[in-house]
Amino acid sequence: MMNVIKIVTLTLALLTSANAFAKDKFSICWSIYVGWMPWEYGDSSGIIKKWADKYDIEIDVVQINDYVESINQYTAGQFDGCSMTNMDALTIPAASGVDSTALIVGDFSNGNDGVVLKGKKSLKDIKNQKVNLVELSVSHYLLARGLESVGLSERNVKVVNTSDADLVAAYSTSGVTSVVTWNPLLSEITSQPKSYKVFDSSDIPGEIIDLMVVNTKTLKNNPKFGKALVGAWYEIMSTMSNKKVLTHMAEASATDLAGYQAQLDTTKMFYSAADAVSFTQSAALPKTMKYVAKFSFDHGILGDGAVDENFIGIETPEGVVGDKSNIKLRFNPSFMQMAADGKL
Amino acid sequence: MSFLQINNVWKSYGQAQILERLNLSIDQGEFISMVGASGCGKSTLLKMILGSEVATKGEISLEGKPLVAEPDAERGIVFQKYSVFPHMTVLQNVMVADEFTKSFLLGRCFGSARKQVKQKAESFIDAVGLTPAINKYPHQLSGGMQQRLAIAQALMKAPKILLLDEPFGALDPGIRADMHVLIRDIWKKNNLTIFMVTHDIKEGFELGSRVWVFDKVRHDPQAPMAYGAQVTYDLKLDTDKTPDIAALTQKIAVN
Amino acid sequence: MKRLMNIEPSRFWRTFLTIVPFIVIIALYWSASDARLAENPNDKLLPSFTQISSAIDRMAFTENKRTGEYLFWQDSAASLYRILLGITISAAIGLIIGLINGLLPGVRAGLSPLVTIASLVPPMAILPILFITFGLDELAKVMLIIIGTAPVIIRDMQSQVMQIPKEQLIKAQTLGASTWLVTIRVVLPQIMPKLLAAVRLSLGAAWLFLIAAEAIAAQEGLGYRIFLVRRYMAMDVILPYVAWITVLAFAMDFSLKKMSQVCFPWYHHQEASK
Repeated sequence: MMNVIKIVTLTLALLTSANAFAKDKFSICWSIYVGWMPWEYGDSSGIIKKWADKYDIEIDVVQINDYVESINQYTAGQFDGCSMTNMDALTIPAASGVDSTALIVGDFSNGNDGVVLKGKKSLKDIKNQKVNLVELSVSHYLLARGLESVGLSERNVKVVNTSDADLVAAYSTSGVTSVVTWNPLLSEITSQPKSYKVFDSSDIPGEIIDLMVVNTKTLKNNPKFGKALVGAWYEIMSTMSNKKVLTHMAEASATDLAGYQAQLDTTKMFYSAADAVSFTQSAALPKTMKYVAKFSFDHGILGDGAVDENFIGIETPEGVVGDKSNIKLRFNPSFMQMAADGKL
Repeated sequence: MSFLQINNVWKSYGQAQILERLNLSIDQGEFISMVGASGCGKSTLLKMILGSEVATKGEISLEGKPLVAEPDAERGIVFQKYSVFPHMTVLQNVMVADEFTKSFLLGRCFGSARKQVKQKAESFIDAVGLTPAINKYPHQLSGGMQQRLAIAQALMKAPKILLLDEPFGALDPGIRADMHVLIRDIWKKNNLTIFMVTHDIKEGFELGSRVWVFDKVRHDPQAPMAYGAQVTYDLKLDTDKTPDIAALTQKIAVN
Repeated sequence: MKRLMNIEPSRFWRTFLTIVPFIVIIALYWSASDARLAENPNDKLLPSFTQISSAIDRMAFTENKRTGEYLFWQDSAASLYRILLGITISAAIGLIIGLINGLLPGVRAGLSPLVTIASLVPPMAILPILFITFGLDELAKVMLIIIGTAPVIIRDMQSQVMQIPKEQLIKAQTLGASTWLVTIRVVLPQIMPKLLAAVRLSLGAAWLFLIAAEAIAAQEGLGYRIFLVRRYMAMDVILPYVAWITVLAFAMDFSLKKMSQVCFPWYHHQEASK
């Protein structure tokens, strides 16, 4: 009896989790964000299909409305790849033991995330305030880094977990005096009277990184999957000076061209593969990931097994951060290098 | 001056004329049985005397004064169903009748006032023969017992008029006979004026000291609603003599 | 052989049949979890029972190292306070307005259509208005529960009052009762058991609105924790929290049922003998 149940459920489990072995059908998911709109364009313009055809595979591109849900789905094995930030890559799939590779380093936030105070112009004034933000997200990380920069710590403020969908409405209530959030919510909030952006991600450049993360095992067994995705990505990047393309992306993210341009201005996109490669190879990346790992451990989100911030190994071209025997997150520029060298 | 005077009373609902040209006068202590086909308006007249319906035209006066246009303690009522409170025991059901008027704020008496009300309630419960069931809830009582309870409630207020709206219609024949004995007894002892609606002509003649038969005098086949009913027979009975019911029933049926 | 519809299981079989689905679910979960953990020992989607019990131990019986508090009990207390306050106020509003609406035709004409329309507005769709009116703190969470459940209770109470036979109301008047006394001695006691039944039915909605409110903005609470740890897919915390919410909801439902049976025995006997 037990064996029958086991077989049934094992089959179910195998059927539902994406197979890591050699295969020719893949799926990736993404959610709406300025730096990930190119995936939508790549899908609807046929660029991704073109590259998949070239490598004789199929790639399904799925938009998921809820960012965290998209990462959870990837982590649970429903998708082979997913767009996410460096911090979430560490705390969700890597901390869940899903060995993941940052295949594409798309951009970093350069003012796209910010701390806003109502009626106060200096970050120091945040002391003793309630701060509304999405807890344990990059906003939280940005706040921690900001507080650090003015000699404060999280003990000096009261963090209130607030859903991103309701932040703008929340900000308009009198009880809310400070928020940390990302675009387009950020520009919506700063456009309100007496609102001052006192700290943003351009103060910590290169620390909030937007990635296309794929399952390491799947990538290893199917280099074609990585090649097709990277090839498609940089072809899309080459079209991003085209107004028509930008307008398409703007509309798909429910804004207009001007609004989308404004978001791009505070996002450091790596339009060329070579730039992305040199960013990945820089010594700043392991330093950033150390910060992120420390923040994550301090907030208890590196997993139950974590005894310190070095529990999970993070591999970068400049060396491994954390435990070398437990590497779960890898920054691997080799596919982007191929794109830079025109070898795809 | 008669006790209750019905002066040229008309009643209609929209286009439908129910009753017309009622002119009747009633003496204190009469037991009036109202009989007639269903829908003839006998219940409507009862409700107008009760005060839950108002005449479209005309006036009903009690002891020379127009009737209060809403139900009050002068007129007690026993309906065919639902006239006891399901959330109270027999004793509470009867006690509440006095508590309503003695305590305006809470509707409950305490201490010696309560004792007094309780004693009075117990005597009426005894009078209707419900003493063994004094602490039971209505759903634990039979239909006949529930009607006894409703009568006891009404008697607590010593009403000038007691209205009975098909009070025994839902009861088994045996129980009905017992109830007849009870109501007759109560009528005589308390010198009550009683109006009873019934669809059982035999019952009407058996209990009443006077029988009203309701029927339409005028008929328009094109517009059956155009004319209302009137009291076509107003028969005073000698209550000490058993009436020849068969003959009377025959007489009514012929018309 | 009797017809299927006439076969009543014995006491033993009834108990057995009650338990079986639970055992099957637990067994299915256990083996699926086992399979996933064999593939990836750090899998968080279907944690093992050991992982779950250590998460319970960590949340409920160990001081949090950052705050020094027992998070699980703190969350439970915060959520229970909100839901009990919200549902109590809802019940009170529902009872009072429902009573007045049901009993007084004059008020009903003015209020009843408004209540009907208000009960059809999905509260989650007008959140920004609620924020601006009630802020983001405790008040807003309790208000969301009230707005979500009160209109339905009002409507139910109104219709229950109107279903009380007219004969009873007239009878009370012939016994000399004023509107006030009819209300408190005839109508109120009869709709109290109906109120408890209505509250039991709205508990599901109340929990839903509570958890939604806590997901929107909060610093503690069962819903807050679930949505927070969802960010790093800590199913080992979410599953016991969900089970705990179910237990709490069941306990609340059960105690309301018992309360009704103890306070209004006449109602339950009457229903049973119908």
